[in-house]
Amino acid sequence: MSREEIKSSNSWHWPKLVRWVIGPMMLLFIWQVAAQRFNQPWIFPPVSRVITQLAHPLRQHYASGSLASNTLISLLRVLLGFSLAAIVGVTLGILMGSVLFVRQTLEPVVELLRPLCPIAWLPFAIAVFKLRTLPQLFGIEYSRTIFDQVQLGMIFVIFVGGFFPVLTNTLDGVVGVRQSYLLLAQTLGASPRQTFIHVYLPAALPMILTGLRQGLGLSWFVIIAAEMMTGSDSGIGYLLIYASDNSAMDIVIAAMLIIGAVGALLALSMRKIMYSFISWKGKEV
Amino acid sequence: MTANPNSKGPSKNSVVLEVRGVSKTFYSTLGATVRALQDVNLAVHNSDFVTLVGATGCGKTTLLNLIAGLDAPDEGNLRLSDGLRFGDNIAYVFQHYTLFPWRTALGNVAFALQMRGIPRHRRKPKASELLYKVGLAGFENIYPHELSGGMRQRAAIAQALAMQPKLLLMDEPFGAVDDSTRGELQQMVTELWQENQTTIIFVTHNIDEAIVLGSRIIVFSERPGKIVREFKIDLPRPRNRMTKEFTDLFIQIRQSLSGQLD
Repeated sequence: MSREEIKSSNSWHWPKLVRWVIGPMMLLFIWQVAAQRFNQPWIFPPVSRVITQLAHPLRQHYASGSLASNTLISLLRVLLGFSLAAIVGVTLGILMGSVLFVRQTLEPVVELLRPLCPIAWLPFAIAVFKLRTLPQLFGIEYSRTIFDQVQLGMIFVIFVGGFFPVLTNTLDGVVGVRQSYLLLAQTLGASPRQTFIHVYLPAALPMILTGLRQGLGLSWFVIIAAEMMTGSDSGIGYLLIYASDNSAMDIVIAAMLIIGAVGALLALSMRKIMYSFISWKGKEV
Repeated sequence: MTANPNSKGPSKNSVVLEVRGVSKTFYSTLGATVRALQDVNLAVHNSDFVTLVGATGCGKTTLLNLIAGLDAPDEGNLRLSDGLRFGDNIAYVFQHYTLFPWRTALGNVAFALQMRGIPRHRRKPKASELLYKVGLAGFENIYPHELSGGMRQRAAIAQALAMQPKLLLMDEPFGAVDDSTRGELQQMVTELWQENQTTIIFVTHNIDEAIVLGSRIIVFSERPGKIVREFKIDLPRPRNRMTKEFTDLFIQIRQSLSGQLD
């Protein structure tokens, strides 16, 4: 094979638009043909019926709300629970990374609780928090807003899911700060407090953001699973299991697609934020 | 910058630093001992430009760290003149990781000013002026990884100068840049020294560099690190490498290092 041939066979690939259209189109085509052959739409619905569901996101499904409203509920739960996990995880990670006593005290606890699947906390969380909601925490029985769907037990489970990646990555980030930068800061007259704010934090930021990205992704996994458990009565995970119980497989698959799309969107936005913050990472000189 | 004749700093010939009988030994975890410094005696006067020359690993950096207070000697003592304090008016320029990668050039130069609580609107023009001084005007908003090696060292020097140091310690600051850039940087440091008369202790393993820069050259032997010779140089600046005095000095230093630098 000549040099040109090697080059051309390696450098040829589908144009981007085609790549992102052809692959999925083929999948849809195979799906449609298979579904028609199978001809049991309550088990294997054709593409057209799923698309119909996706095209009507506001359609009410019995008493359980619409695709859109339930997605919004899940997102709200995740954003609240994950914010809590982020704040506590980053704070504790920094404390553990910079104060040896705190680290030695908490590390065994963290290492024991970390491998535990967050969903395993759900029965305990429901027992402790009952079905209390966020507005009730502030003494409002019914706020008549979407916040009435934010149960403290759900928040707790999301917190557990998002917390550990944030904590461990922050800890690693703080512990791994290059000695040279600490020395440089000391040379330039930084006090311990200033070193903390102006060296530890920015130097650990890439790892902190990695932890936040992983934590957010895991939180989204956890909420879907938690909503599918008994005791839940809203959220996109709940709608998915409800539709499945009613043999509405078109809604199930529509919900699956939405869950995947939202997860991808969350990951993408975190990635965007990360790169705008830490363009320097890996280029230290 | 520090050459204000009215300031109550040390006078022209006062001793800034006195090193007496200093020894330092390092013990590795494998049980090996390295005698880094042995009975080092040195007095540095105000406005001296001292170059410490010797083979890599001869203990020059150890001495610099002792002066900075980053480490303590096993024997002997070091005395700094009153009012000299590390992190305040003693600055240190390293060879690597001289800048914070998450800060722009301006942010790096302004770091010391920020640590002193100088407000943003006052430290910005000050830092810009320093960048201009080291030939980096227009690079204010550039990050370290976007600068060349020589530019980074220029920024690092501006960063150190922002402290208005009375004593400037430099540990092979130009060790990682190419020869022509090195020449430019040497000229810049010479000019800055002539302008400010800041006392400088400059570590290098490059004999040529030691002669080009120093008003005094201290030659170090290798393991244990000992001062073997000292030269006072009055050659006019900028120094011409092609003169007989320069090459004679070069040969003398090379001989006193007796083949340690190969």
